[in-house]
Amino acid sequence: MTLADVLPEASPTPSGGVPTSLPPLLDEHAKREIRRTILTAVAVPGYQVPFGSREMPVARGWGSGGLQVTLAVVGSGDTVKVIDQGDDAGVNAVNLRRLITASTGANESTVPEESTIIQSRHRIPEDELRSDHIVVLQVPVPEPLRGVERDQRELARMHAEADYAKMWVSLYEDKVRNGVITQTTGYPCLVDGRYVIATTPIPRWDIPRLHQAPFLTLFGAGREKRIYAVPPHTDVEPLTFTDVPFEVERTPGATCATCGSDRSFLVEVPAATGSRWVCSDSDWCRRRQKAQGHD
Amino acid sequence: MGYAAARGGLDAITAAEQLVRTLRLAAPSDWLDGDQIVERLRLAVDRVMGEGGIWDEQLAAMALRQAEGDLIEAAHLLRSYRSTLPRLAYSEPVEADDLTVLRRIVPAFRNPPGPQLLGRTSDYTGRLLELIDDDRAREEADKLTAARRERVRAAAGSAPAGTRDERRPQRLMTLLRDMDLLVDRRRDDDPEPFDITRVPARPGAPRSARLATMARAETGALVNLWYRNILGPDGYLHEITLGEVRHGWLPVPVVHPHTGHPVEVGRVRVTEVEAIEDLDGLEEDRTRFDVGYGLCFGHNERKAIAMANLDIACDRDAGRSALEQSVLLTTDGLDAAGFLEHLKLPHYVTFRSMVERKMAVRAARPALQEEPS
Repeated sequence: MTLADVLPEASPTPSGGVPTSLPPLLDEHAKREIRRTILTAVAVPGYQVPFGSREMPVARGWGSGGLQVTLAVVGSGDTVKVIDQGDDAGVNAVNLRRLITASTGANESTVPEESTIIQSRHRIPEDELRSDHIVVLQVPVPEPLRGVERDQRELARMHAEADYAKMWVSLYEDKVRNGVITQTTGYPCLVDGRYVIATTPIPRWDIPRLHQAPFLTLFGAGREKRIYAVPPHTDVEPLTFTDVPFEVERTPGATCATCGSDRSFLVEVPAATGSRWVCSDSDWCRRRQKAQGHD
Repeated sequence: MGYAAARGGLDAITAAEQLVRTLRLAAPSDWLDGDQIVERLRLAVDRVMGEGGIWDEQLAAMALRQAEGDLIEAAHLLRSYRSTLPRLAYSEPVEADDLTVLRRIVPAFRNPPGPQLLGRTSDYTGRLLELIDDDRAREEADKLTAARRERVRAAAGSAPAGTRDERRPQRLMTLLRDMDLLVDRRRDDDPEPFDITRVPARPGAPRSARLATMARAETGALVNLWYRNILGPDGYLHEITLGEVRHGWLPVPVVHPHTGHPVEVGRVRVTEVEAIEDLDGLEEDRTRFDVGYGLCFGHNERKAIAMANLDIACDRDAGRSALEQSVLLTTDGLDAAGFLEHLKLPHYVTFRSMVERKMAVRAARPALQEEPS
């Protein structure tokens, strides 16, 4: 009998994975604890489940929560895609990706169709995702009500009693003062009719993607030691008034300068001669260009 | 596989890593070995062990060297190393009276029971920059080394300096209690200490959570929180009178898995502080004092004193103000520094969303643009 027979998890090379060049970043007890936390989060959609967040080889605020979630659910048979602002080549995305693959033996891809786990900061890929996808979002501030209440004890009470009155008043005052609701990214949403969550800071553009999504979304906040989830086929409703429609980011007339898209989240490339626009989802854009024949 | 698309970022960070590594390792001066750091930069090593939550001088020295002297970065390296280790056992509770003191001062009395032992401190040394050249420093070092050897040789065979009572002095609290000058907050039950590494501590947490949080907190954060509360707008915090400031060795007993008996597996140096609080609240006992407690890894009196003062301040505040939340949630060095520095990450998706809302406000309020600015 070899060690691998006793501890199958200790040899993460088989079934198509790549050999690991880094030791595990989390001990097995921690992974189990995080998996249990995730199960609770899935069972109570939108509830921020506290967990004993470990220190990661990336700084707090740099995806330490998302990294712990991914490391707890990834296996050597998985393929991970990691993006930052929608870009696979973003420097922090690259760093997280190599930590994940080098320590677990998981494969990597930039194409959602080839991936099983997508860890992301600030975006959901433009592609349609499947029911076997897990989206892991890195969360800097998990508390949606922090803008209206600072006291932790009061915040706990408000969530427990579903008392979101202060949030509604703040949205109302915003609308009255400014003519529109000025909340930008991380728009507060009611999950499954019960808990209000902070939608990381993904843009409003991505919010409709979460509603009744076929995929599981896990939110990891390492610094604040919270994990929450939106399970598949769950209602995610942005907080707004019946006569004030929820507005996503949209720039009339703007199209992607490289792939021509007018149905993706575009970011501005400023220039004195007039701005250009490009897709923030770099791999989606790349595949569209390829399909159009100008690679 | 679309791996090529991710190349640009990887090349850039590999180059940055290589630049840091090359300039650090290939510096023209001598290699800085672990012993040099432990012996000559001991206070930095102590801080890193305390904030990193690991007692291991050599590991802390390696972390400090790798972090190019950045204390928070070094503590981060130790903590993420910790995350890879399984927790095999908990140590047994140890009596604080088992502390063998290297230094002990009692500012509250001129002649307290037990010694006033200054020990290794530069508290009373003029802060003058020693503009001494390397040759003279080496000469002095040689003389001091020789003199030290001579002292050790002369003392060989005789009893060690300081009696047991002097090295484990009675604490001032005992005397104050005998004088009936202390309110008695001791509890009869013996609850398990709150483990901040496994359960997030939030306001309303037991005192042990507060103490553990402060023991691992960033020293500067505690000093600042203390000073803010003395002078700043946050609140009013009493200056305590120090009862005990101790630095010394504490044994670490662990139950032997086979015999079931505690065995000493090592010892750690700690700084321990007892702070006497003058109770002056309307509902408080005006005839007695109360005591705050601070204890942290290594020699770090600044931290232990701030900790003891904040401990008693939290207790007296009893959740009326946000002090406890500040202590529990804002003093961790890794949390604060990491979150501050994350602002360096790309934020162009969120910024795009913000610009879009500025335009939306303008569109909703066209009159705004005609107003003189």
